[in-house]
Amino acid sequence: MQRPQEYTAIFENVEVYNEKFTHLHFELKNPFRINFKAGQFVSIKVNDDGVRRAYSICSDPDIDHGIEILLDTDPQGIGVKYLQNLKLGEEVSFHGPMGRFVIEDGADEESLVLVGTGSGVAPLHSMVVDQLKNKDDKRPITLYWGLRYAAHLVWQDEFSRWAKTFPNFKFHPTLSKAEKEWSLCRGRVTNCLQVHDLPPNAGYYLCGGKAMIDDVKKLLIDRGVDPKKIHHEKFF
Amino acid sequence: MKYKISVDKDKCIGAASCIGIAPKTFKLEDDVALVVDQAGDDQDAQLLAAQSCPTGAIKITDQETGEQLWPKK
Repeated sequence: MQRPQEYTAIFENVEVYNEKFTHLHFELKNPFRINFKAGQFVSIKVNDDGVRRAYSICSDPDIDHGIEILLDTDPQGIGVKYLQNLKLGEEVSFHGPMGRFVIEDGADEESLVLVGTGSGVAPLHSMVVDQLKNKDDKRPITLYWGLRYAAHLVWQDEFSRWAKTFPNFKFHPTLSKAEKEWSLCRGRVTNCLQVHDLPPNAGYYLCGGKAMIDDVKKLLIDRGVDPKKIHHEKFF
Repeated sequence: MKYKISVDKDKCIGAASCIGIAPKTFKLEDDVALVVDQAGDDQDAQLLAAQSCPTGAIKITDQETGEQLWPKK
C-alpha cells in the first residue's frame, strides 16, 4: 500500500446536499496525482497549529487528480468549521492516503455487505463505485445506510441507478426516525440486519460510530459470521 | 530533543493513521495502537503521526524539557 504523503490541493467545488451533509471537491496541485484505495481517508490540516482531522474519501479511486469528501456538518467541530469557511480556490493541505479499511482483491469473500451510518457511507460510496464500475465485480454487493431522517439522504438517485445498472447491487437505506409513508427499512441498521438473510461467506465492511460498529459486530457474530470477515472503520 | 511518545488506549479507535505515517514507531494490536520503538522513525514523521490521529490519542513530550509538544496545551 502506498505510503501517505503531503498534498496541497485547491478547493474546487462544494455542494450543500442538505442541512446535514455537504460534498466537497479538491483538485490536487502538488503532487497532482493520488493513488488511493476505496475506503481510505486523508488527514486535512485544519489550523496553523497543525491540528488535523480525518475524512474518508468518497470519490472514485479511478479519478486520480482530485479527491471528494462528504462532510457531516452536525458536530460543528474545528474541522467542520474550517471546511465550511473555505473559499473556492483556496489551498488546503492534507496527508494521505491512509487506512486499511479496504476491500482486498482476491479475498475469499463470496459477497460483500457494506454497513454505514451517517457520514460512514462516504468510504462505502467509494467502494461501491470501485467494485461495480472499475473492477466489474459480479459478487452480490449490499449496502445498508442508517440515518435518522429521509431528508438527510444523499446519493439516492445514484444508488438507485447503480441498482438498475448492476443487478448484483442492492441498497437498503434505513431510517430511525422515518415518516409514516417510508416503506423501506426502519429503525437502526441492526434491526434491518437482524431480519434479513445474510449471504453465506460474505465479507462485512462497517463504517460509523463506535456503538454501531460494536452492535453490528455482535449481531453478526451471534448470527454465525466469522469475526475475521468483519472489517471496520470507526468514526468517533 | 528526544521525544517520549505515548498512546491513550481509551482514545484510540484503531484508525491506524499513525502506522501509515510512522510504521516503525507504532503498531496495531487488538485494534489499538502501541508504541513499539520510541525512535523508530524520524521525529517529523512521529509528530505528523500524532497530528494525524483523529482522536488526539498520541501524546509527544520533549524528554529533556518535559514540554508537551502534542497535543498543544
